[in-house]
Amino acid sequence: MTKQNEILNKDFRRRIAKMCFEGKDGHIPSAFSIIDIVVTLYQKYLKFDAKKPQWPERDYFILSKGHGCLALYVVLARHGFITENDLNSFCRSGGILGEHPDLTKVPGVEANTGSLGHGLSMAVGLALGLRIRQFKNKIYVLVGDGECQEGTVWEAANIANNRELGNLCVVVDWNGSAAQLMPKENLDAKWKAFGWKTTVINGHVQKELDQAMRDVQFLSTGQPHVILAKTVKGYGVPLLEGHGTWHHRIPTQEEMRVIMEALA
Amino acid sequence: MSGKDIRQQFADTLLEVGRRDDKLVVMVGDISHFKLQPFSEACPGRFYNIGICEPTMISMGAGLAKAGLYPVVHTIAPFIVERSYEQIKLDFCYQKLGGNIITVGSAFDYSNLGCTHHCYVDFSLLKSLPETQIMFPASAQEFDVLFKQNYKNGKLNYFRIPKNSHGHEYDPNRIKVGQGLIIQEGRDVSVIVTGSQLKNAIQAAKILQQEDCGVEIIYMHTIKPFDQRCVRGSLEKTRKVLVVEEHSMYGGLGDEVLRTAKDIEGIKYATIAIPDDFIRGYGSYEDLCRDLGFTVEGMVKKIKQDLIGG
Repeated sequence: MTKQNEILNKDFRRRIAKMCFEGKDGHIPSAFSIIDIVVTLYQKYLKFDAKKPQWPERDYFILSKGHGCLALYVVLARHGFITENDLNSFCRSGGILGEHPDLTKVPGVEANTGSLGHGLSMAVGLALGLRIRQFKNKIYVLVGDGECQEGTVWEAANIANNRELGNLCVVVDWNGSAAQLMPKENLDAKWKAFGWKTTVINGHVQKELDQAMRDVQFLSTGQPHVILAKTVKGYGVPLLEGHGTWHHRIPTQEEMRVIMEALA
Repeated sequence: MSGKDIRQQFADTLLEVGRRDDKLVVMVGDISHFKLQPFSEACPGRFYNIGICEPTMISMGAGLAKAGLYPVVHTIAPFIVERSYEQIKLDFCYQKLGGNIITVGSAFDYSNLGCTHHCYVDFSLLKSLPETQIMFPASAQEFDVLFKQNYKNGKLNYFRIPKNSHGHEYDPNRIKVGQGLIIQEGRDVSVIVTGSQLKNAIQAAKILQQEDCGVEIIYMHTIKPFDQRCVRGSLEKTRKVLVVEEHSMYGGLGDEVLRTAKDIEGIKYATIAIPDDFIRGYGSYEDLCRDLGFTVEGMVKKIKQDLIGG
């Protein structure tokens, strides 16, 4: 895939790698897997005011696969929720940014995640609550395909369909993690069976991301929508791509040189 | 109200509060839906029978709170407290989102249903989480007062509704979260009791009074925050205490009393609680109470044997 498509968001990818290298912690491949999705949402589809993170009319983005949070942090910084200094303090004593997003510390973070299988269930409650209050906010949730092994994801998916939470859109970062253990995975059929409208795209191609995002209708009552974004873990740097040792590994100085060269 | 079924009061109180507060939203795990029909009809769009998926129901409750609502999550105690503990910890408590968990079937109320439907570590588990309040209202009046006082206080409120009421009513102005009630004063032995066992404690005190043993009864409808001042005042006077709780001997009311008494010299302590074993027997709730010593005779015997001799 790397050779076939233009690598988007190289600047964000470089910043993520640098944070991980300097903070001596983090999940680079998971962040590279979702960065194009997160950038697209914040640039074009989410309504927010970084100066007022709790603005009642904002749209909500819940990163349920919390270990991908480096991608969220760099985007929050770009839009002014947090600062460059905050990014520089990643995983350091006194900083606000840890290896999982924390809404009690980080402006713009909507949920504490990290234990997989919580984000969608909270989002279903939020979507229901906003509808009860007759608010029109949109709710996006990003889950991993590995996370979809959690039973609570399907409890929540079932409820969202039965309660017709059309104000909810899930994006699945379908990078093949689940297939490492469960190769018979067919996420599209599964979400369809749970009553969701599905769209399968390449999650690293801007045109496909935009088309899929534009197609989500966000009706207060209606069929919930899931975008199944096929991605590559570590996308953009061949050294990091795929499953295995890089999931939670810190690059050496020499590896950083290789990473930066790939993202030049 | 003294003889009223507490679960019925739960439904009536929610109806009353729901009518005047449109932010109250109720979710149940496929129980109590008939009792809550009046709420459902009076508060359209604010009652949901979510079904059999307790962890998700807890997370949804946190989501409702994030939307600015006051959620009530209601089902059988073990399925909320034990199965969904991580959701309570992370989604409500860590995120500082307020809500209300209201359970039935705590301790061994569902006696014949066995270990799957027993829950006697709920105080211990929930007490350990910051941002929680733990209430055990054992009368219709207490539920009504405590719920109205606390349902929108921003904490995670746990209301453990027992099968039986203790059958007593008190000045409602004296019922406040975190405050023990001195039911009767006595000079010789303190009995610290929670739940419907108050009824037995009062009877036991009458028997002991005939033998010139003055029992002071302190009733705790709130386990957290714990009223150390009230308990300490009594223990400093009597220096002998029996704790009665339908809960594991670990981590519940007894631990709070011991913590309160740790520097009172010469304190004698006894407890009637669930021992370090699973309850494996069958029979009615009353049968299990008898087996475990939760009776008038059990309390009298324990006080005589362990606290006052003879």
